[in-house]
Amino acid sequence: MYRTDDILHTVRMLQQENLDLRTVTMGINLLDCAGRDMAAVAKDVRAKIARKAGNLVRICDQLTTKYGLPIINKRIAVSPASQLLEGHAPEAALDLAHALDQAAAEVGVDLIGGFTALVHKGMTPGERLLIESLPQVLSRTRRLCASVNIGTTKAGMNVDAVLLVSETLLKIAEATKKAHGFGCAKLVVFANAAEDNPFMAGAFLGHGEPECVINVGVSGPGVVKRAIERLVEQDPRCTLDEIAEEIKHTAFRVTRTGELIGREVAEKLGVQFGVLDLSLAPTPRVGDSVGEIYQAMGVKVIGAPGTTAAVALLNDAVKKGGAFASSSVGGLSGAFIPVMEDHVLAKAVADGTLTLERLEAMTAVCSVGLDMILVPGDISSVTLSGIIMDEAAIGIYNQKTTAVRLIPAPGKKVGEKIDFGGLFGSGTVMPVNSSSGSADFVRHGGHIPAPIQSLRN
Amino acid sequence: MDHRYVLSVLIADRIGILSAITAGVTDLGANIEGISQTVVQGYFTVIMTVALPRAVGEDDIRHAILSRFCGDEAAVLVRPYIPRARRPVEGDRYILTMSGKDQPGILKTLTGYLTEKKINVEDLFFRIVGEQVTHIGEVTVPVRLDLKQVQDELRAVMAAFALVISLQHENLFRATNEVDSIRRLLKT
Repeated sequence: MYRTDDILHTVRMLQQENLDLRTVTMGINLLDCAGRDMAAVAKDVRAKIARKAGNLVRICDQLTTKYGLPIINKRIAVSPASQLLEGHAPEAALDLAHALDQAAAEVGVDLIGGFTALVHKGMTPGERLLIESLPQVLSRTRRLCASVNIGTTKAGMNVDAVLLVSETLLKIAEATKKAHGFGCAKLVVFANAAEDNPFMAGAFLGHGEPECVINVGVSGPGVVKRAIERLVEQDPRCTLDEIAEEIKHTAFRVTRTGELIGREVAEKLGVQFGVLDLSLAPTPRVGDSVGEIYQAMGVKVIGAPGTTAAVALLNDAVKKGGAFASSSVGGLSGAFIPVMEDHVLAKAVADGTLTLERLEAMTAVCSVGLDMILVPGDISSVTLSGIIMDEAAIGIYNQKTTAVRLIPAPGKKVGEKIDFGGLFGSGTVMPVNSSSGSADFVRHGGHIPAPIQSLRN
Repeated sequence: MDHRYVLSVLIADRIGILSAITAGVTDLGANIEGISQTVVQGYFTVIMTVALPRAVGEDDIRHAILSRFCGDEAAVLVRPYIPRARRPVEGDRYILTMSGKDQPGILKTLTGYLTEKKINVEDLFFRIVGEQVTHIGEVTVPVRLDLKQVQDELRAVMAAFALVISLQHENLFRATNEVDSIRRLLKT
């Protein structure tokens, strides 16, 4: 026997508030496909992905019918592809990228992540090869996503890697010039990358992960927004701790739907269930925005003083609700602020109220980082490096994941608009203040030592 | 050996009805084994199963209850209890919700379709606010049925009423409203 209000509450989350399962991501370890002959490696990669993920989409569709809960994306995250490139010639990277891209198409997933290099303490030849191949790879594949981890709290920051990645970013932008540098939207530069993150473009299967695993990403910014709106409508004088409590309760419900589906997908596919990542991930749709949550909390102008505190409150309450709902919470879990993918954040940038500096402050307390940000096409690689280093420092010194997804838009200047369409959204090119003022610092290169927080043993 | 009966009572709602009924059967020596009670638009109804240590006539049980009420205030039905060997339908439990403008024929059309498909209704109620009605049902869908087909047919059959309809596995509602672990929930 269920309470009427409980049933209607759940139905309302689905029918009116855009609750969905943002992604079911299958992690697949490809290390056993390694070899000297890239043609054979590519063949093995495609066969293994087909074997493991062949039924992923069908099972997800079955469960969407059973529960009436949309599973928006079915995706694959493989172990870092750089491991398969060790000892290979440069052209092997594109062959491997094509194999991954084709494998994703064959099993019907929209994105495949894991064209990844973990270079936070140093770089192997295979990892360098992977990074240098990105302009070609990201301009010639459709579904493949890449990531590079350039720092950790334990290892510090590999500034030489940051410099290489920044130069590469400009080349990717140039290689995808006709699409306004869209290739850069498929590359995430991490500090403290999560090994079990199911969200793209930064998903990959880390070293400590199982052979094959199902990780699930739940979203639902619309549900949280409506919960806060209802609370404020009922009691306009409600306090911030009451708002935090409401977010926590809502996060609990949302998290539970994700674990329910994730465990059932894993069981039906006969693979291990990994983690549930409750991240409020917006889409460009109205009613599916993280910015709208801040507005519901009372931050009417995003970027105004108080915005960072609002992000902190939201991020923390989401984590607490999720942690109570499930002991399998992992990944990034919190609030994303991908500027182009959120219509409220995108408008705040266009209006000039949300600046790069304010975004950087917000990333110190949100679950990820500077995400989907358009910068002028004539930006220098050292300026890009400076932005990446600032963001990585926030992650490394605060023992959290930070990520950077910057898009230098070729030929575009501050204030110009670009539309990538679909989930990637649209946005305005942002100014970067005093862009060359730290060039000498950045050019020193080398390694920023691990912070004192790393010495914990 | 116990003698079991199933009985139901219908009466305009007021304070003390359940007390009167339970006193009537308990004084006969009965142990109440199952009970479900509700009130619909001011009318109280209860169904219960009772076990007696000795054989008692159905009329005797009926009179024991009626004696607690005035005149023809209550309607009482008593039948011997026949244990069911199995549930009417083997399948999974789903929650059916339909909301929209209230109009005649909704339940007739719905239950006609469910009967045709041998979908068992285990609980059904609705709530009306103004002209809007929300129906909520707990139904068991036989495992042999294609769920997607049932959902599509249901929407087609009910299309004339312009309702928003959903048919979702009960575990979704358990997951969002209970605190037990999902792993345990999936096992029960």
